[in-house]
Amino acid sequence: MSSLTDRYLAATLGSVPAARRDEIASELRGSIEDMIEGKVADGHAAATAEREVLTEMGDPAVLAARYANRRLQLIGPAYYLIWLRLLKLLLAFVPAVVGIVAGLVELADGARAGDAIGEGIGTAIEVAVQVAFWVTLTFAVLERTNTPLNLPAWSVDRLPEHTSGERQSRLADCVASVGVLALLVAYLPVQHFRSFVTTTDGANLPILDPALWTFWLPYLMVVLVLTAGLEIAKYRAGGWTWPLVGVNAVLNVAFAVPVVWLLLRDRLLNPDFVARFEWLSQPAHLDRVATIAVVVTIVIAVWDVVASVSSCRRRR
Amino acid sequence: MGSDEILRTHLQELRRGTVVVASLIALREPDYGYALLQRLTGHGFPVDANTLYPLLRRLEDQGLLTSEWNTQESRPRKFYRTSDQGESVLGTLLDDLAAVQTSMTGLIEGVDR
Repeated sequence: MSSLTDRYLAATLGSVPAARRDEIASELRGSIEDMIEGKVADGHAAATAEREVLTEMGDPAVLAARYANRRLQLIGPAYYLIWLRLLKLLLAFVPAVVGIVAGLVELADGARAGDAIGEGIGTAIEVAVQVAFWVTLTFAVLERTNTPLNLPAWSVDRLPEHTSGERQSRLADCVASVGVLALLVAYLPVQHFRSFVTTTDGANLPILDPALWTFWLPYLMVVLVLTAGLEIAKYRAGGWTWPLVGVNAVLNVAFAVPVVWLLLRDRLLNPDFVARFEWLSQPAHLDRVATIAVVVTIVIAVWDVVASVSSCRRRR
Repeated sequence: MGSDEILRTHLQELRRGTVVVASLIALREPDYGYALLQRLTGHGFPVDANTLYPLLRRLEDQGLLTSEWNTQESRPRKFYRTSDQGESVLGTLLDDLAAVQTSMTGLIEGVDR
């Protein structure tokens, strides 16, 4: 047996499922030998016939993919559009939000403005690369496992509104909402380092209880980031849709309930911060502040949900 | 893309699928890969070896072909034959091919169905 065919078979069979390798090997070897014999019988020189046949068979990787029924694409048409949409959606705000937060943390840590901006941009780029990589990897795996996504089929209702004036004002709305949310997200770590309230000897006093950093403050930041994502999804959908209203309600509950609970248990504010102010440190006054904060939190959450429901109803 | 290239693409699209039908017909009489390739080519169904060999395995996996190793001759060869299931699928495919031909003729002659 000549070595070219052996090498061709080895190159092909390496990536064919092991269970069928032997059988494919004997069959393919036989077929190639048949083809070489055929060439020679047709008057081709025996020396070059093998090379010609293997050239005709083409790249072993392509042949192996055909045997294994493997797809020669990273992400095929079934997933491509969803991949693209998700990628655009995430890249639209995640790198910016994380970059801003990173820059502000750096600033609060005492870095100079230029360094903080550099840190923010560097982090944003890194996050963008990570998001792109992981989203693409996920979809490449979905493509290979052939996982059905069971997404709702496209319908005429999903056509975007055409009035450009309205669209622009919605864009302005979206940018403003995301901006406010980004500031809120950034405020949580910033107040920890630079609250502009100091102890008597000049050290910084966080407003919110530092003990909450073990879980609740990161949790609230995540909820706020998700809310920013919701604003962008709302803009892309052309306004409120019922699924988005549902998500909005869930996010409002996810934000308001822990905040109210923490307020009622006097766990939200930093005890040292409270002790710093004579008026606030009186239990009656602290309770009054907590009660007002609870009411405001609940009113904002309820108002936000009611507004989304009525807006969605008007659109239908 | 030149006009030759465009034509080639359209012809390829038109021919795709006929290889399966032709193979199912030809393999009513058992045969091995290379001999089938020769027969199809001889009957005007030129097909690349690197397309046909994997295709035969796929049709076998789908149950449309059955296979048997023949070790009588100089080298062992895997003979494929159209299965009962393959025969019934073939019937449907041929009916559809005829329906396409009828529709096409009707369209050319301008007759409503």
